[in-house]
Amino acid sequence: MKKVLLFLSFLLVGNLLFAQQSQVLSALVGKLNTVKDYTVDARIVAAVPMIKIKEVNATFYFKQKDKFKVDTKGIAVLPKQGFTDLNKFIANASNYMSIESAGKVISGVNTVLVTVIPTNDNQDVILAKLWIDPKKTIIMSSQVTTKSSGLMTVNYAYSDQLKYGLPSSLVFEIDVKKFKMPKSVAANIHQTDKSSENDGKDKKGKITVHLTNYRVNKGLSDEIFK
Amino acid sequence: MFLNNTYNEFIKIAAKPRSYIGLIALSVLIGVIIFAMKADGSTYISFVTASFEQTLSFSGDIMNGNLIAFIILQMLIVHIPLLVALVTGDLISGEANMGTIRMLASKPISRTQIILSKFLAGALYTLLLTIWLGFLSLYVARWIFGTGDLMVLTSDGLIIHPESDVEWRYIYGFLTAYLSLLTVSTLSICLSAFAENSIGPIVTTMAIIILFTIIGSMDVTVFDSIKPYLFTTHMAAWRSYFEDPVPWDAINESIRILIYHNVILVAIALFQFNRKDITS
Repeated sequence: MKKVLLFLSFLLVGNLLFAQQSQVLSALVGKLNTVKDYTVDARIVAAVPMIKIKEVNATFYFKQKDKFKVDTKGIAVLPKQGFTDLNKFIANASNYMSIESAGKVISGVNTVLVTVIPTNDNQDVILAKLWIDPKKTIIMSSQVTTKSSGLMTVNYAYSDQLKYGLPSSLVFEIDVKKFKMPKSVAANIHQTDKSSENDGKDKKGKITVHLTNYRVNKGLSDEIFK
Repeated sequence: MFLNNTYNEFIKIAAKPRSYIGLIALSVLIGVIIFAMKADGSTYISFVTASFEQTLSFSGDIMNGNLIAFIILQMLIVHIPLLVALVTGDLISGEANMGTIRMLASKPISRTQIILSKFLAGALYTLLLTIWLGFLSLYVARWIFGTGDLMVLTSDGLIIHPESDVEWRYIYGFLTAYLSLLTVSTLSICLSAFAENSIGPIVTTMAIIILFTIIGSMDVTVFDSIKPYLFTTHMAAWRSYFEDPVPWDAINESIRILIYHNVILVAIALFQFNRKDITS
């Protein structure tokens, strides 16, 4: 009998946890869902250790639920995750439980910290922390830990697309894992300082994406994403 | 008379079937590389970018003509000296072997001018080979793959050059690569002045290149003092134009050393040919 009661109480607690969702996050998801599609011009500035690249202009295309395309004339370096992955993850409330707590002050805004924890092991996301402006219902900062890419911090800034919750700039802070350059293709006759190759430590990289000229809900064809 | 003799020397090169081996071999090699890249270039690219792809993604057309040209240059610049030496190593010793050197010396032209015209003809052939290499690797590759930003892997990491910033790097790169090949040409002609048969200077040139390359690639301190003076160390100087910032001082040093080699080798060849007994 005791075992049955214990099992029922676990079930009850589990259900309560499953039902628990942040109101701020729900409002944010509702706001983001008003964006069916968008096209935006992007200027990408990458400052990543061991990569030298100049500013690149690109065009981003997005369509619900998870269609995303980067169109650039040259080569652009972007974070592997961060543009649609978080939105896609939080869009389905059955994937996670979320807990609200007091956040920090970001750009003079008192934020609410919403901690999002996946409810099954199949998700790539391990933990997500979102600092949300509760008045404007926009993400001010996020910190997402994933199985595939590790920790990624994103800081958001907004201008003319506040009503859709679409940012005017994103600053990605990423951990660049240690790596070895293949010597067969990386020979450098003039290099004498061998210590500069790679010290084996993880380094921080920063990718800033400036977004202008949003065209929201204009109706994008699926052909664009092929 | 000097220019006429140079023209004659170039005609002699053009009349030899072996002179076309280099051009044909280059065409075939570059064709094979372009085919391989067209068929499975993404594997090569992932080999280069794999280290970064855990956290980063690369958007845009990485596999373009500019990258193919870089890959071709990197792969072939080591082997082209053989194609150069195959022709230039025969320029003097071939005449000695066939016995035509006496007839050549009977012309109203000094021995110094004879040898200089051979060097000039060899330089023209090397230039032709370099231009053919540049045309196939850069323009044919661009025609097939299109153009775009250039992603270069160095020991310091990845450098991505905008398309607009690539052309001048290739021009300077090919000019420096030409100077490297010219050094090989000069070396083989110099060795040719000492020999009486064709094979000796060709094989010796390649043996020297292999020996110097091995010395240059060994991480042994005993060779550190001589490495900077080996011409093979500076044969990859063309790559430096694709670094950011461009190490101009190091490139100038490489160019200086290659020019010194050319001048010294020509001087040795002149000295040897002028005192060479061609009567017996």
